[in-house]
Amino acid sequence: MSTKDALVTVEQVTRSFPLDHSAVTALDRLSLSIHRGEFLAISGPSGSGKSTLLNLIGCIDRPTSGRILIEGVDTSRLSPSQTSVLRREKIGFVFQTFNLIPVFTAAENVEYPLLVQGFSNTERRRRVAEALDNVGLSARANHRPDLLSGGERQRIAIARAIVHRPALVLADEPTANLDTRNATQLIDLMRDLNQSLGLTFIFSTHDQRLLEHTPRIVRLTDGRIESETLPETSHVEVLAASIS
Amino acid sequence: MLKFLQLAFRNVFRNRRRTIMTLLMVGGGVAGLLLVGGFFAFMFRGLRESTIRNGLGHIQIFNAEHFRRDEVHVLDTGISDWQHVAFNVRSADHVRGVAPRIEFYGMLSNGVKSSVFMGSAVDPDAERAMSFSPRLASGRDLAESSSGEIEALVGTGVARSMSVKVGDGLTILAVTADGALNGIDVQIVGIVNTGFKDLDDRYLRITLPSAQRLLQSDRVTNLVVGLDKTENTDAVAAAFTPRLRGLSQQMTMKKWIDLAAYYKQVRTLFSGIFLFLGIIVFFMVLMASVNTLLMAMMERTREIGTMLAMGTPRPWIVALFMLEATVTGILGAGVGLIAGNLIGIALNASGLHLPPPPGLSTEMAFRVLHVPALMIGSSIMVVVSLALASILPAVRASRLQIAEALAHV
Repeated sequence: MSTKDALVTVEQVTRSFPLDHSAVTALDRLSLSIHRGEFLAISGPSGSGKSTLLNLIGCIDRPTSGRILIEGVDTSRLSPSQTSVLRREKIGFVFQTFNLIPVFTAAENVEYPLLVQGFSNTERRRRVAEALDNVGLSARANHRPDLLSGGERQRIAIARAIVHRPALVLADEPTANLDTRNATQLIDLMRDLNQSLGLTFIFSTHDQRLLEHTPRIVRLTDGRIESETLPETSHVEVLAASIS
Repeated sequence: MLKFLQLAFRNVFRNRRRTIMTLLMVGGGVAGLLLVGGFFAFMFRGLRESTIRNGLGHIQIFNAEHFRRDEVHVLDTGISDWQHVAFNVRSADHVRGVAPRIEFYGMLSNGVKSSVFMGSAVDPDAERAMSFSPRLASGRDLAESSSGEIEALVGTGVARSMSVKVGDGLTILAVTADGALNGIDVQIVGIVNTGFKDLDDRYLRITLPSAQRLLQSDRVTNLVVGLDKTENTDAVAAAFTPRLRGLSQQMTMKKWIDLAAYYKQVRTLFSGIFLFLGIIVFFMVLMASVNTLLMAMMERTREIGTMLAMGTPRPWIVALFMLEATVTGILGAGVGLIAGNLIGIALNASGLHLPPPPGLSTEMAFRVLHVPALMIGSSIMVVVSLALASILPAVRASRLQIAEALAHV
């Protein structure tokens, strides 16, 4: 598979953090290509660089060296405001701790990215209803986050991440705060959205049970790719589904 | 925009206890300013009205020459056809009365001792018609009668230095309009306490015809106009302008505020005190709000990181914090306006009195006026101080590193 038509290309990326007189290297000359419609898990133990890699792909951090291309655009060449626009339009985020705005209802939380992008009132309402329907929480639209269960909150967070139809959804340990049943349901939901809407999902996890449903798994250790599972059929299926 | 405003409004009530404390602090500042400012306004109004009713009047009309040159002889720059001028202005709306006056100087003597006096000649009936009465320590006011003795009022200081009392006589000497020396005997019918010691030591008041006889002139120094309400001064002054044109002498007029030097001094002093209080309140609100808003920013670090991650422009974060502070300021001002006005009403109803101020023998009523300009000004002041207080937290919030903010615990 060539990097030419990749959605995300990570080229020789190193990210180190200064620490007193030394530096901690979180990612070490890592390269990776991710294609449109993929459902990819980044796994590895704590401190292996999963979150750092997602932050770099999500343009909320910059590599110390190397470069990251999204849809062929070198993100290291973008100004902060251009990066902000790229995140706003191309990327959806799902966080470990849900990070919903507590004073907004579920629907208003889902609406927020559309608000930032300046969608019309009618269009916002239509898309919010659709996104809530996608995650099966239409009935909870007017509930505040504190009245929702952990699983429901994370589904709302997913609805928020997909409502503006981004090219890429990044989920950093999305199941870490959920019990096994909710975690499995969430991964299934993400997989369904991946297949039905053709959305590209990249998520990090260290929960081995969740990886059983994941066609492509990148395992990190000490900031490097230790191994990569790339089932022959899965990606082709995903591509076919997204095209259809 | 509406959603953004909703977000700001809901964020204000996120931590209710802290918001209530902030509103109480802001409201307390506004209420304090309203009460102090309202009391000062009451004092200013009292001083203004007493200054006007003690004889200054609302408008004084002079011969324009009066302010252009010094008099060579008494009434040199006086108004000659004053009855005509008085007739012209008396018919204007809001005018209660017009009183002619002569200001003059001379010597007075009790036969043993002589002293300088500052004389004021009045038409007692015209003065009384406008409720301009001298503050009598003893005796009575002048009567208009022309028969018998010439009546005079003297200041308490004059009475003391000349060793005279009501019913005693004095001789007064003055230079006439022609430059000759003239003298008349007067009988003291009352002793006046003007409230100003220097004036009490020189003060003499006689009727207008007596002064004209003494000075050998039918001119007057000025015409004092009394109105129904002080607030009408500007409108009446404007109405006078055409009425004072085309006369044999060129006339000019002065409003009470142009002549009330003492009132202006007191007002300037107390306005300075009030400004100082306002600055203290401004900085109190500013400092306390900076602290509160910084705490709010710290608590919401991860949320701000999330908003930035989703592509929220950084200026929006600044605007959000400033909007929240402004909403808090508006609510705090509302609390302060309600509290300040209610406390003011309660104080006014309580009939509270303050001890006599220096120079006065009577207690002073404690009243708080409800001044709309003060309400608007103090409200704007706290809203602005809160908006300013939000700048530092807002800018800090907008400059957060997204990855660090998302990892904030």
